[in-house]
Amino acid sequence: MNFALNEEQLEIRDSIIRFARQELAECGEGNEFPRAAWQKCAEMQLMALPFPEAYGGCGADFLTTVVATQAFGYACKDAGLVHAVCTQLLCGMQINSFGSEELKRRYLPPLMRGEKIFAQAITEAGSGSDALSMRSRAEHAADGFLLNGTKIFISNGPIADIVLVFAVTNPEVSRISGLSCLIVEKGMTGFSQCPPMAKMGLDTLQNGELVFADCAVPTENLVGSEGQGAILFNESMEWERCLLPAAHLGTLERVMETCVAYAKGRPAFGQPISKFQAVSSKIVEMKIALELGRLILYKVATSKDQHKRAALEASIAKLYISEALKQTCLDAVQIHGGYGYMQEYDVERDLRDSIAATIYSGTSEMQQNIISRFMGL
Amino acid sequence: MSKDSIRHFIATELAADGAKTEIADNDQLLEQGIIDSFGIMTLLGFLEEKFSVHIEGDDLTPENFSSIGTISALIDRKAGLSAGA
Ligand SMILES: Cc1cc2nc3c(=O)[nH]c(=O)nc-3n(C[C@H](O)[C@H](O)[C@H](O)COP(=O)(O)OP(=O)(O)OC[C@H]3O[C@@H](n4cnc5c(N)ncnc54)[C@H](O)[C@@H]3O)c2cc1C
Repeated sequence: MNFALNEEQLEIRDSIIRFARQELAECGEGNEFPRAAWQKCAEMQLMALPFPEAYGGCGADFLTTVVATQAFGYACKDAGLVHAVCTQLLCGMQINSFGSEELKRRYLPPLMRGEKIFAQAITEAGSGSDALSMRSRAEHAADGFLLNGTKIFISNGPIADIVLVFAVTNPEVSRISGLSCLIVEKGMTGFSQCPPMAKMGLDTLQNGELVFADCAVPTENLVGSEGQGAILFNESMEWERCLLPAAHLGTLERVMETCVAYAKGRPAFGQPISKFQAVSSKIVEMKIALELGRLILYKVATSKDQHKRAALEASIAKLYISEALKQTCLDAVQIHGGYGYMQEYDVERDLRDSIAATIYSGTSEMQQNIISRFMGL
Repeated sequence: MSKDSIRHFIATELAADGAKTEIADNDQLLEQGIIDSFGIMTLLGFLEEKFSVHIEGDDLTPENFSSIGTISALIDRKAGLSAGA
């Protein structure tokens, strides 16, 4: 067991931190999608890391991708942008793992260059945690499928050029065999994107409804085979529950460092507030979460690189790190006192951004259900 | 051999509430609700560890997990491939 990152991973981590501090420092004001920053991220090859060199990718392993994402979450204060980039990567990973050669050649290059924005659409108004009970329907039609249904809360949805849509292709069989994943492109007839929904945080991330009304999708846009949707979804959740927490852990580290600096510099009763155990204990908890979160995160990533399953560990990582981030951000506001509540200080935004982490990609309660099932409870 | 250990694992670890203890080779595991979507994840972990195979990409189809017979055929194919490699 080796707990050290290699030279290349350290180099990538440091260069991403430098990049984000220099190029993305101003990013995240307002709630517009930051296109210029997005393009810079693509130029930095953040969206190309895990993909094969044959398609123009960097060929990095998953652990390196996770380390890079952690660095990105650490140094980029715009958590909305970080989430948008992660969504792009996750869509690419599904195409790369399950897509036909033609789909990989068609979609991976523009995905990696950031030229096309990708989204994945699973959630519906009536089915979130119970995702497989979705109602969107893709019926067989001439040369493909006719897609009908509405998806909601979709990250990158309102601005997406390409959407991976999960829908029922066979209602006669169980949902494990009856779902499929289809690629829908902007401009296809019957596909419309609603305006972004106003949210609590992640301001620059664009989330919204996608409507499919007799949208004709050609057969070759099927990702994997027909009926493979539920299994594909399970597989992609293992990556997602490692990649998004990687960004969260980076943010947690930044927030912790902000608290350390503030607590050491803020005097009260003749000494820095860091000397009060009620304050320092909160920061100690952040440090513990950082160290333990890193272990489980790197364990998941290493398992994936070894082509092993890590569904249990990914759920633990997702649950532990997202809850730790939320608690860290709450404590950070408390440690900053009245200043922490003011928008002038970043911790207010970090807290608003952190809340959704325990909801998307499977809520904390759902992660507990998964862990409990793995334990045979 | 592989069929028996697969059958034992499914009956003891996955079959909902242990209600189904006798599982025939052709019983439809997904369609009869013996294995749900969570159960597939657990089963995959078991198969990969027990038989030292990797099940990825094109092999991850519902058809391959539809019955003990199809799972066992998948394992034989995968194990044959890794032995021949
Ligand atoms: C910022 C953001 C980005 C998102 N991005 C995407 C995206 O890109 N693509 C996409 O498809 N979706 C996306 N979502 C949707 C997200 O995945 C769902 O909101 C989430 O899965 C929860 O579903 P729900 O909102 O329907 O809540 P519900 O499923 O209705 O849950 C409500 C509450 O009930 C609890 N609950 C439900 N079932 C159980 C149970 N069995 N046991 C215990 N508790 C339970 C939940 O934990 C939760 O607390 C996003 C959501 C947000 C907030």
